[in-house]
Amino acid sequence: MRHTNIVSIYFTLLVALLCQLFPWVGQGIIFRPDFVLVAVLYWLLRAPNLCNVGTAWVAGLLVDLATGSLLGQHALSFTITAFIALSYQRRLVLFNTWQLAGYVIALLTIERVLMLLLKLFAGDENPGWHYLWPILTSLILWQMMIVIFGGLTRPRTKQ
Amino acid sequence: MLKGVHQNLEAQQTPAFFVRGANAFSRMVFFCALSIVFMAVDARLNYLSHIRQGFIAALHPLEVVANAPSEWYRDIKKYFSVHNELVQENYVLKQQAFEHKVMLQRLSTIKAENVHLRSLLNGDMPLQPNAILGEISHMGRDPFTRIVVVNRGSQHSVKAGQAVVDSKGVIGQVTRVYPFTSEVTLITDKELSIPIQIERNQLRAIAFGGDNNTLDIPYLPTNVDIKVGDKLVTSGIDGVYPAGLAVATVSQILQNPESPFAKIVCTPVAEVTNHLQLLLLALPDAKDTAPIEEKITQEAKVAKDNSKPQTKVQTKPKANINAPH
Repeated sequence: MRHTNIVSIYFTLLVALLCQLFPWVGQGIIFRPDFVLVAVLYWLLRAPNLCNVGTAWVAGLLVDLATGSLLGQHALSFTITAFIALSYQRRLVLFNTWQLAGYVIALLTIERVLMLLLKLFAGDENPGWHYLWPILTSLILWQMMIVIFGGLTRPRTKQ
Repeated sequence: MLKGVHQNLEAQQTPAFFVRGANAFSRMVFFCALSIVFMAVDARLNYLSHIRQGFIAALHPLEVVANAPSEWYRDIKKYFSVHNELVQENYVLKQQAFEHKVMLQRLSTIKAENVHLRSLLNGDMPLQPNAILGEISHMGRDPFTRIVVVNRGSQHSVKAGQAVVDSKGVIGQVTRVYPFTSEVTLITDKELSIPIQIERNQLRAIAFGGDNNTLDIPYLPTNVDIKVGDKLVTSGIDGVYPAGLAVATVSQILQNPESPFAKIVCTPVAEVTNHLQLLLLALPDAKDTAPIEEKITQEAKVAKDNSKPQTKVQTKPKANINAPH
């Protein structure tokens, strides 16, 4: 685990929210990654001392307010996903890139399914299989986050 | 190697193992409970709409920043639009304007005639609704709901419930109003219903949103007089949509022998994806609609044996579908 600055965490979350607000006209919107979720998960797994389940909840609530969905939907799914993410956080040091990607895919899928369940409870219609596209694009975004901000574990010391 | 790990851990000021405060599980339970409460309050009660509006207003600068690149792109595209295209468009528009002028000439005489006939019948004058011109700013944040966001809000005196139309026909209804923007739910949304009338035989019914950008007319018997290609217009009996606006055309009629009702699929005529401008029609005033309702009840007393008046949107299967107009 590396030292991280709390300002950079909140700045990234703000930028992610901005990306979420970016207007999409047309069909491309079904591929839109979950910007805020990826940012939250990244900081959650990298700096659990600065960013915890509460941060995920606040981020989810902001997404709810910004997107006009039922208040608490994203908050609930983000909270549960964050909890699951944190419960294996200490083992991530042992994971290689592919294992980590698999772990992130699992987390993103959990969030997607939770969100779908909540939406169905709220009375929305079944969106079909393309509902799962954002998992793939979010994974790409995740890899970009790792490229930009560095991996979750310490950089290998040259010996 | 192991020694190196140990040293690096020591270099950190606080080990992450002991500074987490409350247990992650208890935090999760607490925040889940909180979000469930929020969802219940938001879904059933109206307390949170002000908070939401305030937040959206506070978020407006951020939204403007997020919208800026696409607006620049649009402006640049407009600037570089080819001369040839403009000439062609100009030609088409001129032709259209000419056709419209010819139609308008007839319209004015017909209008005068209509006013005269209405005065003979002691009827009400049809209201000319005020309208606000808006522009679609984006298709909503959630791709799986049928909502578009328009750049007019409560600051431009938009109210929830207003009907929204484009040049071809009805688009939908304003469902949520923010200070600078408002959400328009499309008529293809499952939650929205619209009272319609078939243009050919004045048959009244209610259309609901269906799958894949279509409208459904449920609760019509299989032997109903409806054909593929029939035009549906608003009937105006709900007091929201003015009468006579184009809504959809019937595209498919499926008759299932096991079901007493026909499945009628219609395609909306409005083209939400093709252009950005739309009109938000003002809601009719309460005092204007009151005498009409009174009149309807009077009429109902006269024609009690035949049919009941349809003043509100009814969703019962046996709503007087074949009532004489």
